[in-house]
Amino acid sequence: MKKQCVAMLLAGGQGSRLYALTSKVAKPAVPFGGKYRIIDFPLSNCVNSGIDTVGVLTQYRPLELNSYLGNGQPWDLDCFDGGVHILPPYVIQNDVGSWYKGTANAIYQNMGFIDLYDPDYVLILSGDHIYKMDYNAMLQHHKKVGAACTISVLEVTMEEATRFGIMNVDENDTIYEFEEKPKHPKSNLASMGVYIFNWKDLKHYLTVDEADPNSSNDFGKNIIPLMLAEGKKLSAYRFKGYWKDVGTIASLWDANMEMLNLNGGIDPYDDSWPIYSRKPIKPPHIIRENAKLSHSMITGGCDVDGLVENSILFSNVTVETGAQVKYSIIMPGAVIRAGAVVEYAIVAEDAEIGCGAHVGTSPTGEEGWNIAVVASDVGVVPGSTVAAGAMCTEPMKGGAAE
Amino acid sequence: MNNLHGILFAYRTNPELKDLTLHRTLASLPFGGRYRVIDFILSSLVNAGVTDVGVIMHESYQSLLNHLGSGKDFDLARRNGGLRLLPPFAYAKNDRRSTSTVYHGTMDALAGVYSYLQEIRQDYVILADAHTIINLDVQAVLDAHISSGADITAVATSTPHSVPRDSTYFLTDETGRASEVLVGPAAPAGLEILNIYIMSKELLLKLTEYSASRDVVSLSAGILRPQVKELKIIPFVYDSVAFRIQTVQGYYDINRQLLDPKVRAQIFEPSRPIRTKERNDAATYYASTSKIYNSLVADGCVIEGTVENSIIFHNVRIGKGAVVKDCVIMQSSTIEANAQLSCIIADKNVVVTSGTRLTGKENCPFVVEKGSRV
Repeated sequence: MKKQCVAMLLAGGQGSRLYALTSKVAKPAVPFGGKYRIIDFPLSNCVNSGIDTVGVLTQYRPLELNSYLGNGQPWDLDCFDGGVHILPPYVIQNDVGSWYKGTANAIYQNMGFIDLYDPDYVLILSGDHIYKMDYNAMLQHHKKVGAACTISVLEVTMEEATRFGIMNVDENDTIYEFEEKPKHPKSNLASMGVYIFNWKDLKHYLTVDEADPNSSNDFGKNIIPLMLAEGKKLSAYRFKGYWKDVGTIASLWDANMEMLNLNGGIDPYDDSWPIYSRKPIKPPHIIRENAKLSHSMITGGCDVDGLVENSILFSNVTVETGAQVKYSIIMPGAVIRAGAVVEYAIVAEDAEIGCGAHVGTSPTGEEGWNIAVVASDVGVVPGSTVAAGAMCTEPMKGGAAE
Repeated sequence: MNNLHGILFAYRTNPELKDLTLHRTLASLPFGGRYRVIDFILSSLVNAGVTDVGVIMHESYQSLLNHLGSGKDFDLARRNGGLRLLPPFAYAKNDRRSTSTVYHGTMDALAGVYSYLQEIRQDYVILADAHTIINLDVQAVLDAHISSGADITAVATSTPHSVPRDSTYFLTDETGRASEVLVGPAAPAGLEILNIYIMSKELLLKLTEYSASRDVVSLSAGILRPQVKELKIIPFVYDSVAFRIQTVQGYYDINRQLLDPKVRAQIFEPSRPIRTKERNDAATYYASTSKIYNSLVADGCVIEGTVENSIIFHNVRIGKGAVVKDCVIMQSSTIEANAQLSCIIADKNVVVTSGTRLTGKENCPFVVEKGSRV
């Protein structure tokens, strides 16, 4: 059946700057904010915007992401017509086919999927941003200005502008130039990696781009410059609100901490734009006699008898008696044993911090200080120390058995 | 996969529950922070692989229908079978008595859904009250039923804890078979029946026909007691945690039993998760002004005050300086700043305005009615 707009969510990136956190899962499947995974934000935005057909392009470590998405039921995307579709790379006759070479190539390889719905517009999203956005308002803008492509932009400081893809626009917000991480930015409009294309135009440029052997098949590097060069109308759509790229350990930690400031980051209690997620079946959490809690979020299945300050505990986390968790993110199923101290750290799924171990330190102001990370399923030996900024990826010798 | 069909009795009310069941049937009474009472036995069935469950209801069932929905959250929304909601579709027409308010007993309820019973696809049927708080290994009961060759297997406990006059007891012979059935005695005796039975579909149909034509309304007094010699009735002794909610006091005590780690370990046995209607709540936020001691708290709350020895349901707000001690606060209630509550059951959507002081007693908790503002 014909759809006005189909969303394509790029979820194949390795997320290599999240290091240990993406050693077992794709970046969009990384847990966020106590109850969510990163992909819940763009997916929920789609559903809240009235888009019910979403292709999710996966490639790197797709297993956990695939099972998380399942039939799309938590997002009401288990519909007869449309819904969520996982789109891995594939081969055709005679073993012809390849991995996704770039973001544009990923869409190119799935032109057949998009054509099934014969859409007028295609919305391109990425799976590494935390934000609440009405894509329908952006689509209305796109239609109103009659652009071939509309790019959502965020006003950043001129200082920050050097780290983003920057759109240079005229007085009508029509884009005349795109600069990737400019040393001397001419504008402060940063691309959020959210694009709406007329499907007819996009199809043409994907095909042209694919025929160019020198192209890296990337939207920012190739498709957008190509369309600008050919004089197509590209419009900037100014987004107001909270938006955060969580592509690095530091930014992921920051975004979680910002969520704790109920008015600073994403407001999880705002029912007008709900963020949906697939939830494990867990009882309410129990706060025992010795627990002390302050400025923290705690979720179902947790069992807390220690100190938790300025931290987020995902589902089924245990904090034993006398353990301390400060300024940290503890992902589902992790266990903090008695007397252990975890500060300025991210502890991934099902990791275990042994009795009396010490993970991370408060900021020292020294070069090289950073958030400590304990990867999923890793056991930190009782009494041992994980330094600030360390990545603990291997089960430590002796493991939890000691 | 197994060959077992579930029938839950969700029509029962109890006047002793007063305001708590004013707007809802007992089966849909909120319980344990994020559940409704029916979730426990229903999850027990689903966790044993039961795919077809009929729920018999009679009045005030709007909240129950809303909670169960299509059965999706219990994996019971199925192409074949699944959840069957059984409101009193044929009751008024066939009414044999002057009062037609509610079913008079298990057999009366079964007679009311006779045409549904005939369609059961499985050879065995489990009958259970929807309001028992239990995490039962139903597969073990079915295995015992089949291997013992019993006509009826009844789940029973040797540590009675219910109100005796509302309960049924078995005395057993040396082989473990029931030899005598006591319905509503003055004092507990023998094994207390938890109103969970397994029998064959064939026997169920036979007993239902028998009851309908003889005006027998009760399973315990009308079938089990008079036929204890003819029917081979064998108790399945279950001494893990099981609670039956019968009074306001009982409701309060049983909720707070969940603060006991041993009780939680049995009721929330991880391999048999208790399912409930899926909600979309955020995490619970504890402000730096909060003080929490020994409490069970569901998701979606914002807590700025003090909470002790309490059960806090989802989406509750507890303001700065508020003190909540020994309470059960149901979903979406708000306890404003500096309010002081002790031994209170606050039903859904209650607002306790700032500075208000409400005090009940542990042996006489005070109920604040649904939606009220005090």
